Amino acid sequence: MQTEADYYALFEAYQRGELAAGARADLEARLSTDPRLHQRYTEFEELTSTLRAYGERRRTRQMLGGLHEAMLAADEAPAAEEKQADGLSYSVNPRLSISRTERRLREFWSGHRATMGVAASVAVLAVFCTLLGLQAWQNAHVPTIRNYTMLVRQIDNLKKNQRALSNALNQQVPTAPAERPSKYSGTGFALTADGYLVTSAHVITGVDAKKADSLLVEGRDHKRYYAETVYADRAHDLAILRIKDKDFKTFGKLPYTFKAGQADLGERVYTLGYPREDVVYGEGALSARSGFGGDTAFYQVSIPLNPGNSGGPLLDAQGNLIGVVSGRQDDVLGAAFATKSSYLVRLVDSLKNKQPVQPYHLPRTNQLTGAARPQQLKRLQDFVFVVKVYE
Amino acid sequence: MDSTTALAADAQLIRAIQGGDERALSQLYRLHWPMVSHFVLQNSGTEDDARDVYQEGVMVFYEKVREGSLELSCQIKTYLYAVCRRLWLKRLTTKSRLHGVRLLDDDDYGPYLNTGAEDDLHEAEERDRRFATMSEALTHLGEPCRSLLEGFYLLDKSMQDLTAEHGYTNADTAKTQKYKCLTRLKKLFFASYKEA
Repeated sequence: MQTEADYYALFEAYQRGELAAGARADLEARLSTDPRLHQRYTEFEELTSTLRAYGERRRTRQMLGGLHEAMLAADEAPAAEEKQADGLSYSVNPRLSISRTERRLREFWSGHRATMGVAASVAVLAVFCTLLGLQAWQNAHVPTIRNYTMLVRQIDNLKKNQRALSNALNQQVPTAPAERPSKYSGTGFALTADGYLVTSAHVITGVDAKKADSLLVEGRDHKRYYAETVYADRAHDLAILRIKDKDFKTFGKLPYTFKAGQADLGERVYTLGYPREDVVYGEGALSARSGFGGDTAFYQVSIPLNPGNSGGPLLDAQGNLIGVVSGRQDDVLGAAFATKSSYLVRLVDSLKNKQPVQPYHLPRTNQLTGAARPQQLKRLQDFVFVVKVYE
Repeated sequence: MDSTTALAADAQLIRAIQGGDERALSQLYRLHWPMVSHFVLQNSGTEDDARDVYQEGVMVFYEKVREGSLELSCQIKTYLYAVCRRLWLKRLTTKSRLHGVRLLDDDDYGPYLNTGAEDDLHEAEERDRRFATMSEALTHLGEPCRSLLEGFYLLDKSMQDLTAEHGYTNADTAKTQKYKCLTRLKKLFFASYKEA
């Protein structure tokens, strides 16, 4: 029985080729038939080769270490040579000699500078954000007086916007059967039976500015009349027109009267107008006795109004004309405005004094009182017109 | 230097190293050290870290060259960069226990992802583990077996020298002793190597 050590002696001799030919053949035959022996041989081989490779590795490591040292030494050398060659006691380009601490610091810096940069930027950003934020917060809270002035300006702006909007939107309303589309359109209604009409001043702005060349009034029966501006009161948004067609005779007897006094809060009111090609009825209540921004020349009414309603008549339940529709406020729900009829009456009075071409005969009897709403409207709609402005 | 001449120069260098030219290896070593040291210093390492990583990286390269099994699909520079990058990333991860370590790369040395360096590194790691086990087994083996085996296998000393060194009566006694030592080493080595 051979011990493991004996086998190892045999294997080693075999590897070195020291076995006699007979023994060698014998071993090879046994290796191929005996799996246990074969495994033993494999293990022996693995062990010795690992040992040899390990030795090799240690030598390589040593060699590489040596190479590194040599390289560092070679890097140092030129500086020394330079020193000798020049014959100077110091080198011309002195190598920076740095202390251990400084080298640590430099290593730290080169390793962490990206992180530090980011941290610094974040800090700076945070400081500025805080400062600006604080300032903004203070500005928002401290000055009440400034808020007040801003508010006033805002109202100014809104007022402009309100007017401008009704103009601009009016432009968009097309008139289908016209040969050329009108530039603006609004609503108007009869003031007297003999051809005077009332509308909003802003509807005919273009005519005043001489930009518009013609003013057409079109009734429910699509009958057209040329008209001209008699007077425009921009402050109260009122305008008086007169039909200048020769063949025009009369509107007929007006069914409504003009209220000279003020209407009451909460009164049911309605209007007729031409926000589109057909006449449209709108109903609501008188919700305030002052208009936009506290303007006492206007009522605030809760009638849904659209561009094109401007200049329409505003009547109360008895059929008294109490106002002329003027505009609406866009940022407030259901707030529309109408010029009070008392201003209209006063305007007509003042025009009478100026010796008009033709006298104004305001209607004196109201034919609408007591009639049901549909009947009122049937009478009324013949006296409400589309006012179209062409440029 | 364009890439074809660079590849030609690389091939020449590899042939020289394979032939055992130590000056060629020294040249190569110096050539690529600045790149790796810069990379490690850039990524929060020290000069010593750079040295360790570079030595390790060159070792992988050198052993592959000596074996003749290096299949280089790129420049040596790129290969070394890839190996060292991987090694440093591994160290950083174990050191900082951070999972998402991000490295600042030098774009000049890309593309480092398809250099075959990964496979070579896995191979090298396996070999490292084997050597570590061997070193441990040798330590556990105790004297005089350890110095006997180290002398014979690692330092390539002849049996005669070892007989004289250890005071054996003749070379045969030394040989018998060596084989006994080998059987003990085998048990130690395979026990810990297989279980690991």
